[in-house]
Amino acid sequence: MRSNEMNQTALNIFMVVLTAACLLPFLLLIISSFASEQSIIKLGYTFFPSEYSLEAYKYLWGESSSLLRAYGITILITVIGTSVGLTISALLAYPLSRGVLPFKYFFSFVVFFTLLFNGGLVPTYLVYTEIFHMKNTLLALIIPGLLTNGFFILLIRTYFATSIPVPIIESAYIDGASEYRIFFSIVMPLSLPILATIGLMLTIAYWNDWFNGLIYLTEPRLFSIQNLLNRMLTNIQFLQQNSFAGNNASAIAANLPTNAVRMAMAVIGVVPLLCVYPFFQKYFVKGLVVGAVKG
Amino acid sequence: MRLTFKFNAMLSLLLALALLLAACSSGGSPERENPTNSEGGDDKPVELVFAFLNVASIFKDLQKVEDEINKITQEKINAKIKLMPIDVAAWTQQTNLILAGSEPLDLIVSSATLNYSSQVAKGQIIALDDLIEQYAPDIKHTMPAEILAGAKLNGVTYGIPSVRDFATDYGYIARKDILDKHNIDLSTVKTFEDLTAIFQILKEKEPDMYPIVQRSQTVTIVTDMFTGYIDGLGNNIGVLNYDDDSTQLFNLFESDIYRKYSELAHEWYKKGFVPPDASTSQESNTAMMRANKAIGYLSNFKPGFENQEKVANGMEMVAVRITEPVSSSSTAASFMISIAKNSKNPEKAMEMINLLYTDKDIVNLLDNGIEGIHYVQAGDGTIKLPDGVTEQTYLATQWMIGNNALAYPWQGTAPDIWDQMKAFNESAKLSKAIGFVFDTTNVKTEVAAVQNVLDEYRPGIESGTLDPSTIADFNKKLKDAGLDTMIAEKQKQLDAWLQTQ
Amino acid sequence: MGQTRWGQTWKQVVRYRALLFMMIPGLIYLVINNYIPMAGIVIAFKDINYAKGIFASDWIGLKNFEFLFKTNDAFIITRNTILYNGFFIILNTVIAIGLAILLNEIRNAVAKRFYQSIVLLPYLISMVIVSYLVVAMLHVENGFMNNTVLPLFGIDPIAWYSKAEYWPFILTIVNVWKNIGYLCIIFLASIVGIDHEYYEAATIDGASKWAQIKSITVPLIMPTIIIMTLLAIGRIFYSDFGLFYQVPLNSGALKSTTDVIDTYVYRGLMQLGDIGMSSAAGLYQSVVGFVLVLLSNYIVAKKDRDQALF
Repeated sequence: MRSNEMNQTALNIFMVVLTAACLLPFLLLIISSFASEQSIIKLGYTFFPSEYSLEAYKYLWGESSSLLRAYGITILITVIGTSVGLTISALLAYPLSRGVLPFKYFFSFVVFFTLLFNGGLVPTYLVYTEIFHMKNTLLALIIPGLLTNGFFILLIRTYFATSIPVPIIESAYIDGASEYRIFFSIVMPLSLPILATIGLMLTIAYWNDWFNGLIYLTEPRLFSIQNLLNRMLTNIQFLQQNSFAGNNASAIAANLPTNAVRMAMAVIGVVPLLCVYPFFQKYFVKGLVVGAVKG
Repeated sequence: MRLTFKFNAMLSLLLALALLLAACSSGGSPERENPTNSEGGDDKPVELVFAFLNVASIFKDLQKVEDEINKITQEKINAKIKLMPIDVAAWTQQTNLILAGSEPLDLIVSSATLNYSSQVAKGQIIALDDLIEQYAPDIKHTMPAEILAGAKLNGVTYGIPSVRDFATDYGYIARKDILDKHNIDLSTVKTFEDLTAIFQILKEKEPDMYPIVQRSQTVTIVTDMFTGYIDGLGNNIGVLNYDDDSTQLFNLFESDIYRKYSELAHEWYKKGFVPPDASTSQESNTAMMRANKAIGYLSNFKPGFENQEKVANGMEMVAVRITEPVSSSSTAASFMISIAKNSKNPEKAMEMINLLYTDKDIVNLLDNGIEGIHYVQAGDGTIKLPDGVTEQTYLATQWMIGNNALAYPWQGTAPDIWDQMKAFNESAKLSKAIGFVFDTTNVKTEVAAVQNVLDEYRPGIESGTLDPSTIADFNKKLKDAGLDTMIAEKQKQLDAWLQTQ
Repeated sequence: MGQTRWGQTWKQVVRYRALLFMMIPGLIYLVINNYIPMAGIVIAFKDINYAKGIFASDWIGLKNFEFLFKTNDAFIITRNTILYNGFFIILNTVIAIGLAILLNEIRNAVAKRFYQSIVLLPYLISMVIVSYLVVAMLHVENGFMNNTVLPLFGIDPIAWYSKAEYWPFILTIVNVWKNIGYLCIIFLASIVGIDHEYYEAATIDGASKWAQIKSITVPLIMPTIIIMTLLAIGRIFYSDFGLFYQVPLNSGALKSTTDVIDTYVYRGLMQLGDIGMSSAAGLYQSVVGFVLVLLSNYIVAKKDRDQALF
């Protein structure tokens, strides 16, 4: 018993060191967003800037109307994308997890194949813009990421296949429950851990997605927060690495946000996600409880 | 069983909803651009979509400006313009995609540095000669004939250059206060080598600052020194001298001038004049200036440049011009306006281009915004922000589109800046190959490989970080990657092009 | 005989029609999002001319692929890509499983939740931001390493961004730091799903913790491990572009150890904007990954049919 306690202490110490390694860079990010620009260029990013300043956040406050709008869009696409994506994924994954499914290996292959081959950017773009007319619509931010290429389907399928005891399903069927009822009343509640995990992954993917905005949107009024952030960072980088701006390079550079603003943008881009995370955590715990009840 | 039914119904509903949503959104967005407008009466105005580069412009009031422009264009040519600024960083990707499909796009900014020749080769932009003749006869009066002709590719016009500075000279620019403090007179500088002594003084007197910083990873210290003497013909692979008559291309990276300036840059680096991280730094020269870490930098110039840099850096600047003004082969093609293959109304599009070169009101709206809101007359021919306005809500770049000579200069710039510009342009030594554009279609493999070698060595050598002895390795790798094939192909195209001149 | 087999299959289809019906939305989606655009693979073999249209453009055989093989760099980028990704697969899997097991052992529920949250944090930020953090660490003049860490050991400052030999370690550390939380959570979800009875029974039998991990935890999460590994193998020719491009700041001096297929293609095509060549590169990466996965899946399937992907 005592050695067990010691193990726990050692384990906790190890974990604290590890979490520190994960946390410190964030601290650096946050501190840098409060450092003055002069300090960043003179000292670099440091835990102890020579001078603090709220300039960066004042700048962002000046942009608050477009920022709030972008926040709204990000939240909207994240909520819709995550819930629809999770539903479709689970519905597709469940039959694949059942040994009795006709043509099981064929369908598995159909899903898996999409992970390895794709038509590439241009054909996908043409399908969505020429057939479905999604250019400059919010759907363009939601639809292309829905199943994230079938990857999560395979994860959910594996979970269903290994963690849902087949006898439970069979006896429910014998008791007269339909497949839908089995799925919604038995399988889903037993699968909260994986659903919460995938839900979190989808949330992160939608929240951090800038690529769809980059290719499907030319109207800034539809930009998500990541599009704004990415646009700013890539423009800075582009000007730094391409000579074409030539004559006007410095006039342009004067208009670009400062280092501190970049950091502040990163901070406000990450913080809401940190707030959502514990919400998903709750379901991890619920998943644990369900597991215990089962035992 | 009932659950089954409900579930099926729900699924169908979901699908129907998704389709409906798709239909709605696709129908919804174009409608927004067409507010019911029956003033014109007979013909509905044609809407022309215009894609151009957004280079850190301020476009909060874009819609207002667009509306004002449309009042004029509707009256004059019964067409409306839909402005579509695209960020520089996203430009290549987004325009490539738009041009791959059939989305509405009429006018597009094109540039020799942004795949002009491949846009032509792939049929993404259309030939303009007949259209210019018929719908935009005034354009040829707005710029020198050799510039307009310089945008041709294989004898056909695919783009019309914007009116701006067509020449450039090179030199060193630095903050005035520091130079004055140490009694340094830049006018004594005649060559780049002369700068060494000045940097030495600055280094000793101002140990916390670097006398010279690099502008970016591709506009390097060495580039700023040789470009005044060397005509890179677009990509610096196979180049010509400005001051001889030869049209025999040579390899820049084996030339004496490249070695000479690489050695000079390396000497500066070793003496600590250049920041130690110059070859990887992500900080622009302006950021370094503003943080008081840099005193100056090498640059290309044009009339009024000191004032432009004063605005950018927030401090008085003085400059010394070391090379003579030159117009490179790609001067004409460096910013143009073209008509996309997507256009359903190329005639109207050309009429619109004509307005961009002749209508002072439209040019000023596009460049500076609405008079009284975004600027007011300062009285001497220049413009300024209206009193009490602290935040600019519209400002576009005065060089990319149309006839910029029609735009009012901002206060602080000489009111006769465009006359100065004209004299400057005329004083420049013209490239022997002005208007030649290298078509890379036949050497794509080599272009990709050579580009990778350039990315590997140039920042190191040209910032002075690497010892010039690495130039030999650099050239060996370039040759392995197919440099000679590229130069031979370019020579072939150049000879053929010279025949037609 | 054929008829009866068909008849049987048909009966199965009728009986499990509900299962088939459930898959419809997902399958429709995959057809639209993945299968229709696959027709675009022809682009890799064509000299695209938009005036003619994609499908009417001229066939040019394998010419678009040449730039991937023709030069001396081809060997370096292929070697780098395989070595990095192969190493990442092994290292990430081992560390993530270890971490997931340790996390699962912690009894204090609050602490456990806290650790879980924090470990995933690096996964939430984009590589661009990560590259800024790395600069903060490694900057020649102002970096944390050169200013604070190295002086402690009396070592002279190192010009990190021009010394290629350090980068295999730096990239590996950054990769582990950023991605381990994600993998760890996936494995943790699997471990949490394991029936407690197994452990109880094992404890009664007097099995040590180590023995329980070896003979219960690892075998039961094996399907997840296999899936994750097979997927990673399938993408072995693709690289995390941000990691290899943004984090080394696109520094030329580091290319011998940081250049991978994706960055090479990107650099080359920035100049060309040629979708034929980028499609060719993508197809090459897919095909190699596909062959490798079929091979690995075949090996897995030989051992245990149920654990194979298909």
